[in-house]
Amino acid sequence: MAQTNALNWFLHRITGTFLIFMLITHFWVQHYDHQAASVTHEVVTEKNEMPDYPDEAKEGVRARLGPDAAATPYQVVMQRLADPVYAVLWKGFNILFLVVALHHGFYGLNNVMTDYIRAPMGRLIARTLSWTVALGLLIIGMYSVITAGW
Amino acid sequence: MAEMQLNIEIKRYNPEDDDGPHWESYEVPADPLDSALSLLLHVKWHIDGTLSLRKSCAHGICGSDAMQINGENKLACSVLVQDLVDGDGDTITYAPLPSAPVVKDLIIDQSRFFEKYREVKPWLITDGPAPEREREQSPEEHAMIEDATKCIMCGACTHACPSTWADPDYLGPAAMLKAYRYTFDSRDDGAEERLDVVDSPDGLWKCYTIFNCNEACPKDIDITRWLSALKRRAATSQASTKA
Repeated sequence: MAQTNALNWFLHRITGTFLIFMLITHFWVQHYDHQAASVTHEVVTEKNEMPDYPDEAKEGVRARLGPDAAATPYQVVMQRLADPVYAVLWKGFNILFLVVALHHGFYGLNNVMTDYIRAPMGRLIARTLSWTVALGLLIIGMYSVITAGW
Repeated sequence: MAEMQLNIEIKRYNPEDDDGPHWESYEVPADPLDSALSLLLHVKWHIDGTLSLRKSCAHGICGSDAMQINGENKLACSVLVQDLVDGDGDTITYAPLPSAPVVKDLIIDQSRFFEKYREVKPWLITDGPAPEREREQSPEEHAMIEDATKCIMCGACTHACPSTWADPDYLGPAAMLKAYRYTFDSRDDGAEERLDVVDSPDGLWKCYTIFNCNEACPKDIDITRWLSALKRRAATSQASTKA
């Protein structure tokens, strides 16, 4: 009787294709495009200075948190995820990114584990444990994304 | 390159005398157009008759002399000295195919390899009665499987596959190429039976398209491509079964 993993293999292909575009988008928006309010500018440069965000970003942070609030990388990301217009887009993007990355990564991890764990019971335990961890990470990740900017 | 002296290093193992495998070196005269196999035969016939290896036709047809040469799985009779060394005094290494039990020296125990081969039912499965004449197939239909029919079952691909190294129960590229060859044969009716075998925890989905099988194949069969076609067939077959 077939023990089909065909669906997971197919999804692995699909998620892999999605990840190419999602990773490029994520890195560009989150780490490189300063005008899109990058968060780790000070991490990827050696200046150790806060990035100089556009006025719109600074005003957005102040409007949300008070006149003395500073436009730190964290607050700018929260601002993006709290934006009444773009929040749905970015939250949707991040949730899709999370689901796609978790499936892709954990399917790969399961393959590696079953390369070395050959007993059927051992495989079942390893598979159950790993997908449980994936589910836990999915819940934590979704909670973080959904509540971000609230 | 003219006639030269080469250093031959062979991984030897005699289970009756040795605790484990070890390397032995031999000085061998060689011509650039000699095959790698002929150097081994020189060792066996003129230097050390206890060396054990498999070979039969010595012309790349029987597939019996696959081994690891200079670290890569090759058919010893089908690779020339000039493609292995730069010149006089160079070294060629010979070892048995990896991830298989060694019977002696360069001879591996192939029983597991052929068990996997039989598992995929590598024969024509038909529903109807046998026709009075041959079962016909158009050139286009044959073109689908022609590349896969070139397989000589040498085992170079299966023993070059990291999935085989990690999981000896993995069906391996040679067996699954046979599954492809019959599943995509227009005269065959046993696709579902065969897909049931390859769609298993140690089957098709453990092919990670690493392409080692393609590199090792002495017949230049595009194995990874055909296994990918088999995966698509298994995936669509599963989808249609569920629908």
